[in-house]
Amino acid sequence: MHKISTRQIYFFLAAIAPVGKIMLMPTQLAFFSKNDLLFPAVMNYFLQAGAVFLALLFASKNRTFYDALADTVGKAAAKIIVCLLALFFLYASILPLLEQKLYVQKTLYDTLPSPVTFFPFFLLSAYLCAKPIASLGRLWDILLPVSVVGYAGIMALSVSNADFGALMPVGISGAEGIFGGFAYSLSWFFDSALILALAGKFEYRKGMAWKGMLFYLAGGAAIVFFLAVFYGVYSDIALQQTFAFSEISKYFSGITVLGRIDYFFSFALVFVILFYGSLPLHAGVECVCNAFGDKRYLRIVLSVVVNVGLLVCVYLLNFKLYVTLQTVTKMLFWIFPVFCVLLPALCLLLKRRKHETAA
Amino acid sequence: MKQPRKFLKSLPMKLYILLAAILTIVFFSNDFGLVDIQKTAVILAAGVDRTENGFHLTAQIGKPKGSDRSSCGTASVDVEGDGETISDCITEIYSKTGWVPKLIFCDLVLVGEDTAKEEVMGALGYFLRTEYMPDSCSVAVCKGTARDMLKSVSAIEDTTSAALGKLFSDAAKKSGKVMKQSLKKFAVDYYGASESSYLPYITSEPQDCGGESGGSEGPSSSNGGAAGSTGSAGGAGGGEESKPDKKIFKAEQTALFSKGKMTALLDSDQTFTFSLLKGNVEAGSFAVEDHGEPVTVSVLKNKGGADLKVENKPQVTLSVSVKVLLFDRGVPSPVEDLAKKELSKDAVEKSKQLLQEQITKLWNTCVEADCDLFHLTRSLYRSSPKKYAEWKELLLSTADLTVKATVESMQ
Amino acid sequence: MKTISGKLEQDIAELKKMLPAEDILTFSFVSGEKLPFTVIFADPVTDKELLGEQVIRPLLHYAGKPSAKEVGKNITAPELRSEKTFDKLSAEILAGNPVLLWEGADEGLIVGTKKVFVRAIAEPPTDVTIKGPREGFIEDIKINSSLVRRRLKNPNLRIEMMQVGKQSETYVAVCFLEGITPQETVDAVKEKLQAIQIDVVADSSYLVHFLKDRKYSLMKQVGSTEKPDIFCAKIAEGRVGILVDGSPIALTVPYLLVEDFQACEDYYVPAARATFTRLLRIFALLVAIYLPAFYIAAQLFKLQLFPIKLLQTISGSIREIPLSPSLEMLLVLLVLEVLNEASIRMPKYVGMALSVVGALVLGETAVSAGFVSTPAIIIIAFSGIGLYAVPNLIEQTSVVRLAMLLAAGSVGTYGILLLTAFLLFKLVTAESFGAPLLSPFSPVIPHDMRDSLVKYNMGSLKTRPKTLKSKNKRRMKDA
Repeated sequence: MHKISTRQIYFFLAAIAPVGKIMLMPTQLAFFSKNDLLFPAVMNYFLQAGAVFLALLFASKNRTFYDALADTVGKAAAKIIVCLLALFFLYASILPLLEQKLYVQKTLYDTLPSPVTFFPFFLLSAYLCAKPIASLGRLWDILLPVSVVGYAGIMALSVSNADFGALMPVGISGAEGIFGGFAYSLSWFFDSALILALAGKFEYRKGMAWKGMLFYLAGGAAIVFFLAVFYGVYSDIALQQTFAFSEISKYFSGITVLGRIDYFFSFALVFVILFYGSLPLHAGVECVCNAFGDKRYLRIVLSVVVNVGLLVCVYLLNFKLYVTLQTVTKMLFWIFPVFCVLLPALCLLLKRRKHETAA
Repeated sequence: MKQPRKFLKSLPMKLYILLAAILTIVFFSNDFGLVDIQKTAVILAAGVDRTENGFHLTAQIGKPKGSDRSSCGTASVDVEGDGETISDCITEIYSKTGWVPKLIFCDLVLVGEDTAKEEVMGALGYFLRTEYMPDSCSVAVCKGTARDMLKSVSAIEDTTSAALGKLFSDAAKKSGKVMKQSLKKFAVDYYGASESSYLPYITSEPQDCGGESGGSEGPSSSNGGAAGSTGSAGGAGGGEESKPDKKIFKAEQTALFSKGKMTALLDSDQTFTFSLLKGNVEAGSFAVEDHGEPVTVSVLKNKGGADLKVENKPQVTLSVSVKVLLFDRGVPSPVEDLAKKELSKDAVEKSKQLLQEQITKLWNTCVEADCDLFHLTRSLYRSSPKKYAEWKELLLSTADLTVKATVESMQ
Repeated sequence: MKTISGKLEQDIAELKKMLPAEDILTFSFVSGEKLPFTVIFADPVTDKELLGEQVIRPLLHYAGKPSAKEVGKNITAPELRSEKTFDKLSAEILAGNPVLLWEGADEGLIVGTKKVFVRAIAEPPTDVTIKGPREGFIEDIKINSSLVRRRLKNPNLRIEMMQVGKQSETYVAVCFLEGITPQETVDAVKEKLQAIQIDVVADSSYLVHFLKDRKYSLMKQVGSTEKPDIFCAKIAEGRVGILVDGSPIALTVPYLLVEDFQACEDYYVPAARATFTRLLRIFALLVAIYLPAFYIAAQLFKLQLFPIKLLQTISGSIREIPLSPSLEMLLVLLVLEVLNEASIRMPKYVGMALSVVGALVLGETAVSAGFVSTPAIIIIAFSGIGLYAVPNLIEQTSVVRLAMLLAAGSVGTYGILLLTAFLLFKLVTAESFGAPLLSPFSPVIPHDMRDSLVKYNMGSLKTRPKTLKSKNKRRMKDA
């Protein structure tokens, strides 16, 4: 199986990873931080960029997370840790899945449809998860221009309606608002853990850690700009606007003549989000397969089990949506920095290879 | 070992076939959020009036065009509902007609004058809250009740909503005669630091007698036909009227709002001045005197703004800069003059004075109505929260006004 | 294996035993020195006139030794070989090459006097050009090979023959340019062809199944063309070409999806025009696949996708239609497919009349009777025309269009997105002989994009496509 190329990793960091943060995160930040929403976003991005740097640095060992762990703590312990990471990925996937489900029900249908309309996603996800994760690399080559076109289109149509003065006065929400926004948006930032799951699936090149971090920050800058435009357009009612990326451009004057051409761009972004939504599940399956032997039937069984499990979970949480969002983003947000910041940092302490330490 | 392998090998194909079968069954039998277009009431415009018990909603529902191109264009039917909230009114419409009301194409929300004077956000709150209504729709206040306004027959369009929608076109905005407002912008202003906003004020007048009707015969609102189904619509008003009066709609006045209540009305001159101050005018005109003769001046380019400085006292500067040319004279001109577009110095001076007077008048109206139309409070909040806390209640009443008007004639 | 004994009667009997068919004939004559000769030939496929002129007449006065070498010197046929084994001799007889035996023969002589029934070289119906060559391959592999040779007068052009098919023993030619085509690709092709265990190879498309990596995939994995200029151009880029006797369709591997968006005319017109037409093709194909699906999804699930005036027009048009929008669209699509199929199969003489009936019945009467709506007819008609903008992909895209329609009618816009995501994933992970199908877009190869969706002018295409991993990268020197 071919490996993911470095270019594809950069594409993922710059254009795929940011897309998962434009659904409900802007609303969350607007609620807690109001016009200071850029600060928590920038803080989160820098923190996560550092974690991505560390994860890429770990990936320079050109070994999977499990292999590196097994050499340090033994196979049994390594399997436990990897399974914990896989469980984390399943937990981390709840938020993107619920966001996507909500979005599908709200924007892609005229009346609130049955939750069953979202379930075909799990068919696609099960299929994707049954494939080796390295097969996603080429997909990111295609998704980059889709993401860029979608983003650029939406921005082009909405920038003219943004009143950037709404971001003033700076600091009015205080430390509580800013740090509250920072803490309660941590749940969207798990890209460094995804890089850990991809370790060993791509060939590390010199300087990749720095470049990857820069690409990630570039994607972050695009999202921060989006947040600025979002708040500029909606100002004091921003905290009520969910999935603003598909509504933000409808105020463009040409829309009244041409119709909702902005849907073309938001569908492009939703297309990218489809793949991003299944990525944590895929990463979870990949982690377990690395630990227990990469056999085809194991991958298929795991993929089916994980997706069916999450399908049931999403169905059961259908009427407890906001409680779930609150739980994940407010009550249990601390889980994310453990796996997405602390873990990549700890990975640097893992042994390189058995023979390298046998001196 | 061989059997599971064989099974796994043939599994994908079997799964694909199963999936195709499920998809086909779902295709032929689904009801997952299905919308039957024949049973859908596409609401083009909604009118809200307060009643003793809550609200009265008048929904103008679009009727499909006939497939025969020679028949009329857009047609509509008005359906009404009552309830304690707007949502109740819509439910009543649903239960009366059996159609699923859809607000996704609602381009206009009309609020009756009395409703606007009480508290407009109670009426608009539903439209802001619902996810299936675009908040880019136009909002306006009308003279009298919204019900009567929507039920009147337009002289220029097939449906009242279409005629009203034309009032808020980009061309109208550029003329400066109409101040268009969207639901989103109104909400932002309402919930912002200024708590003030504006809405266009719509009036109607009968079409002059003897004038030819500008459009085709619109359908009478007493017609019981409905979108996609036969049968009478509940609540459709009007009896056996022989010929309804056709109306021309105007939106040259602007209603001012403070804390959600309508507190004043700007006349057409003040509305035009307001447009100038917003920098909206690109093809508007106004009348002025040139050596005692009336001339019409066309505005080609316009900049405007409101500036606030707070040192010991708030200082407000309202400024307008226009580039104009001579558009028309009220008296016959010699042929050499016909080609001239330049205004005389007298006319320029008079224009300047006129603008200054109008701006002052507008400001005074805002102060009397306690309407922070230029969002000075918001600007103060953004620049200095401390000063905002100090001056927010007193800003309008204590501010000193400076008016700057610059008129430059094109050559 | 049995070989020739030298006893004429015995050898003839052996051959007759191996070839008992009635159209296997023998002709015996005696030379001047009373040496008996017999010619064994397959009647339908032997040019008897040539046989008489080049073989029989010269030997009537033969007075030499009864050795194959000496006898062969008197035969004037340019194609002459000798064989000892009866298996090979019988195969040659069946191939249309008569076998000459005589008393005391050490070997049998095979004479190349095959009668070939071929049609004239004409413009291929599947690949019509306005500007450019109009020759097309025909069913005879030798003539097809000659068309290739004429265009690639290169000593490195290899045309390696093999036979495929247990019963048909069809000749298959593997064509490549040594030094340009990667040897791994050539070896992989030969290996796959040699591994084929099939009775009959009636057409080149029989081989496609065996050349594919994913046997049951709908996606194309082997390129095809009927034009020798395209065939040669592809070989020159580093591909392997396959000609099959009896089939005018030549195959090329590796296959890239972008190939089917490139028409031969793109290389004969200015680059700007070529770019425009390529983008137009892609646009037409996307509209053809997605327009019916989005129409259904919008009508059933998301009315907001229509502008209000269009919605009212559509609503008015479908008011009296008894079927649901998705069933109506499916029905019209099926009727279009039936018309399509019938128009290919029907005799020319009734074609005109049935076309008129089809157009009138579908276009006018069905709408007037209220069975189908006008928008559905317009959309399916446009979709049907749009698919033929890329005729090489018609088999795949018509199925994809149907699948999109089912997804849209069941799940709505989300169904379209999911199905597109699935197809995209299948495409990006597909390969054809080591070359990714979506190259140069996935993986990104910026250089190869000069001749993909856009076309640069000829001077910019200095190197061969990197995807094909050709050994000789440069194909044009700087002026």
